[in-house]
Amino acid sequence: MPRRHLIIGGGTAGMNAMRTIREEEREPSEITLVSAERPYSRMVLPYYLDRSIAENHVYTATAANLAAWKVKALIGRRVTALDTQAHAATLDDGARVEYDDCLIATGSSAARAPVPGADGRAVHSFWTLEEARGVLTSVTPGAHVVMVGAGFISFTILNSILSLGAKLTVVELAPRILPRMVDTAGAELVERWLEAHGVSVRTNVKLAKIEDVKGRKRLSFSSGPAITADAVIMATGIRTNLEWLKGSGVKTNRAVVVDDHLRSSVPNVYAAGDVAEGRDLISGQPAVHAIEPTAQEHGRVAGANMAGKDVRYRGSLIINIVEVCHLDAASFGAWDDERAEAMSATKRDRNAYRKLLFTGDRLTGAIIIGRSNDIWTTNDVGMLKGLVQSGQPLGRYKEHLRRNPFDVKTAFVAARTTSTLLPETVLGRPSMAPGDTPVAV
Amino acid sequence: MKVLKLTPERCTGCLRCEIACSYMQTGAYQPAKSVIRVSPFEGHTSYAPYTCTQCAEGWCMTACPVGAITINGAGAKDVVDDQCVGCKLCTIACPYGTMFYDTGTRKAFKCNLCGGDPACAHACPTAAIEYVEAATEDWIGPFAHERVEYVLAAEGAR
Repeated sequence: MPRRHLIIGGGTAGMNAMRTIREEEREPSEITLVSAERPYSRMVLPYYLDRSIAENHVYTATAANLAAWKVKALIGRRVTALDTQAHAATLDDGARVEYDDCLIATGSSAARAPVPGADGRAVHSFWTLEEARGVLTSVTPGAHVVMVGAGFISFTILNSILSLGAKLTVVELAPRILPRMVDTAGAELVERWLEAHGVSVRTNVKLAKIEDVKGRKRLSFSSGPAITADAVIMATGIRTNLEWLKGSGVKTNRAVVVDDHLRSSVPNVYAAGDVAEGRDLISGQPAVHAIEPTAQEHGRVAGANMAGKDVRYRGSLIINIVEVCHLDAASFGAWDDERAEAMSATKRDRNAYRKLLFTGDRLTGAIIIGRSNDIWTTNDVGMLKGLVQSGQPLGRYKEHLRRNPFDVKTAFVAARTTSTLLPETVLGRPSMAPGDTPVAV
Repeated sequence: MKVLKLTPERCTGCLRCEIACSYMQTGAYQPAKSVIRVSPFEGHTSYAPYTCTQCAEGWCMTACPVGAITINGAGAKDVVDDQCVGCKLCTIACPYGTMFYDTGTRKAFKCNLCGGDPACAHACPTAAIEYVEAATEDWIGPFAHERVEYVLAAEGAR
């Protein structure tokens, strides 16, 4: 009897696992995919929002793709309970799916600030495709949009909202914008840039309530003046979709606890992506990253192991980048590690900022901000990632970087970082192109 | 697979590779749009070209959320323009710093070995860039190491 794989969740982690199973398996297996939504990429929703791509561009698999990959897709369904003793999942329509191994990849959902009016008319989250459609109807030329929360999610759609001709105000509870992505100096630079591009920014403000006043929305705060707007977008964090696992016996902490093979406490149950708490590459500690690259790597490693390979995962590196009004801001690894030795520099005339964090002579974290049309910003973004990922000992190049924090390439190349990176692969083999997933095995 | 073999000792810093590359990749004779980059060492007395290694992992390709980076007939990782949305995930995923982003087209671009006939190798007058059957390696690391070490030692850096 062919092995029966059950994948719960059709996001990045689930789809990567599914494709990797097909790439790795030696004997045909059965794959069942249970997904509440038709598989799409959350990363590209901002481009759907600004209408630079059509809705069909966001999908990561068509029905024909799934059929070619011989995946039994139960779309629009949710798993309500997992019986890890009987190796079976119960769906919301009462159906029961038995499995030999299973992947939990149910991701996370948008959480709204718990204030009166948070669930009212013209108050949106921006997380799912359905929510993106809602934002699309609300953001019209000349409309005043207030974004509650100045984190990664709100910054990914900032350009889209401006390009739709709306006027934008960003409010943030923390003392600075992008509090989980850049440090205070970096945040100040980005904030000045935003103000110069017509975006109002208010930090250190706590939303108290949202009311309907004469067909518009009025946001009141615990201090400072109220704001009247046409639409509100709540980008106030996400929560892990774990509730349905109650009673399953799968050990959870902030998310499903997984080992270096992405296995949960139940040996034939794996977890990947936002719903998994796996090893952080830099700290070595369990962490929930909730970022696309971690979901992708988790999914591939879990898929390979479900297909019978023995792939150990080194851990995930936090990497984030956002572009706002043609200014790039990116950070890597332990960019906020207070024990690390930090060196930073600013080029005010070019709106550029670098912060390098060293542990010994290895780079363990970095922040980089610069204009998108500054080629070296883009190239240095990659090289900083390479230095953090490889942990290449930098020897005297560390001192070179202290004196010249913008001369990343010289240190990267001369430290022979490339030779350390070249043998590195996630699955212990060259990757296959996305279009080369084996069909009809 | 044929790769771009770089021999920095032969590079004169003439930038013909950058000009040829930018023309092939974007239609403009504009080194700023080249995906092979020549860097100076030892105060502009020696030079080395640097470009995508077409690494085995293909960090750009596996990171792309919409499958817009694929492997072309030459074995190079190649951006499919119609699919790329410009999210820049590939630019932070590539640990070599060899992804580029065009602010005009709002798309990522990179070395695709010109589909198997790389313009940079044709343009190089000293065979510092050759397109040959070889295993890829850190072509310029040892060269750069020697020259930078020398300069840093002279500066007294420890």
